[in-house]
Amino acid sequence: MSTFLVFVATSDGKIKRSSLEVLSHARSQAEKRGMLLAAAVVDTDATRYSDEIQSYGAKTIYAISNPVFKTHLNASLIQALSTIIETAKPSIFACASTEATKDVLGALGASFNAAVLPDVASFELTDNGVSALRPVMAAKVLSQNTATGDLILISVRSGSYDSAKSPVTAEVKNIGFQPSDFAAVLREILTSAGEKVDLSEAQVVVAAGRGVKDEVGRKLIEDLSEVLGAAIGASRAVVETGLFPATAQIGQTGKVVSPQLYFAIGISGAVQHTAGMANSKVIVAINKDADAPIFQMATYGLVGDLFKILPLLTEELRKLK
Amino acid sequence: MKFIVCIKQVPDVSAPIQIRNGELSMDSDRMVINAYDASAVEEALVLTEKHGGSVDVVLIGPDKAKETIRKALAMGADAGHHIALEDGAGLDSAAYASILKAFFEKQSYDIIAVGKQSQDTDAGLAGSMLATHLNLPYAANAVGLELEDKTLVVKRQGDTGQEMIGLPTPCLVTCSNDMNNPRIPSLKGIMSSKKKPVETYTMDSLGLDLNSLRSDVVKTNTQSYKNMPAREPGKKFDGDAEELVGTLVNLLQNEAKVI
Repeated sequence: MSTFLVFVATSDGKIKRSSLEVLSHARSQAEKRGMLLAAAVVDTDATRYSDEIQSYGAKTIYAISNPVFKTHLNASLIQALSTIIETAKPSIFACASTEATKDVLGALGASFNAAVLPDVASFELTDNGVSALRPVMAAKVLSQNTATGDLILISVRSGSYDSAKSPVTAEVKNIGFQPSDFAAVLREILTSAGEKVDLSEAQVVVAAGRGVKDEVGRKLIEDLSEVLGAAIGASRAVVETGLFPATAQIGQTGKVVSPQLYFAIGISGAVQHTAGMANSKVIVAINKDADAPIFQMATYGLVGDLFKILPLLTEELRKLK
Repeated sequence: MKFIVCIKQVPDVSAPIQIRNGELSMDSDRMVINAYDASAVEEALVLTEKHGGSVDVVLIGPDKAKETIRKALAMGADAGHHIALEDGAGLDSAAYASILKAFFEKQSYDIIAVGKQSQDTDAGLAGSMLATHLNLPYAANAVGLELEDKTLVVKRQGDTGQEMIGLPTPCLVTCSNDMNNPRIPSLKGIMSSKKKPVETYTMDSLGLDLNSLRSDVVKTNTQSYKNMPAREPGKKFDGDAEELVGTLVNLLQNEAKVI
């Protein structure tokens, strides 16, 4: 029986939602093709996730625990995933597309001489490999791609699939790991105050665009996000002006988010931005330009002045709490 | 420090795109330097202006793509390398990484800089594949670079926060377009670019064979294109702020049930 291996990424003691989405879709694909579903976990304490992983149907869990995985460094993650791939010998390896996996996917592809389908919007197994759709040309169109080979690596955009449980009892295999002497050294991690909530995992995102203009506007965004417990996002325009940190950038060159609720505030809706948020479940747009393209995709669109609407909205939401 | 920056000529993705029978058709045939690669060139120029050194660029593509090498030379790069490939159809990131590997094995360099992805395919694989082939330490998605003696210090945008990574040279870095605004070539730069050396390589001269690349290295294929499925537009409201807020809160609570 061939193996479908899913890399389950963790952050701050929690499995990332985007990884559970991939695991859920992988399970249905593995079942159709009679494959064994396995998971790979790499963490300071990888076995603590076993209960949750088996509840999503992974029958074998390959776990590597080591203190080096407290932080991300491509060399150590590549070494760990390579060790698991050599042990599990999967024919398909899938993971959620994040900055961490984008940092290692090409290297794994090159060292295993594998086919790689990065950042796909959907995929399915076929008789001779994998077929997948990828957004290309600044996310204006989808390309239909195929991959063949003994090992195919896939990364999946967040929000592409719903996560769904299907419990089994998994066999946990702890894999010994001794970090190599890496040439690259992680010196420090710089985090800004706005990163209290992990943007790419957030259930609610409040995103600011050019219409937010200044510090007064930014304060309104911060107030709204606080009452909602939301992460703050931004379009490239307000990151370039320095009003919001680069970490907040959503879009083709920034992060891809897929929350339950997305507020696009003063964002016109250029494709470079919407490429990063189109998978959101409910989109609220607030913009004074009634013709802004964002209204074409918003679930609820408010045409009006954000400087008047946001204080009232924050106040109303605060009353509900 | 000697930089070699890998650059690619790509279609201008801001031009309107149509799909006919599953094939892309663009209103404009305008080809440009990949924006991420332009940022890599810019950053290499800034660092060599500050610390000394040189910047070469290398491009794989048809004869026409030499205009993109000239563009980088006009920005200030010192020399160009053109790997001639008239028809790259059907080649994937792995194939391009293999071609670059063959090129770099015959070059001396301290730092290889590349764009983090190509703006037409957005694959983002060739850089880390090349680093792996050359057994170089690398960092991806750089938003800032500094040089400290023989170490390249990369500020990279991670999932949460920015990671500062020290890479001993020789090394490779993939660059985001967030780290700078590439300079517009000056008239003087454009004039002097015409006198700068551009060396041409063939697949043959790199010891490569296109047919065996296609059969042994290429494992992915793009079959066709289709339009992005559009979201259904929802409800749009106009009115005074109080009324709008009341309507929205009601819908979020009772229709969408998300708050």
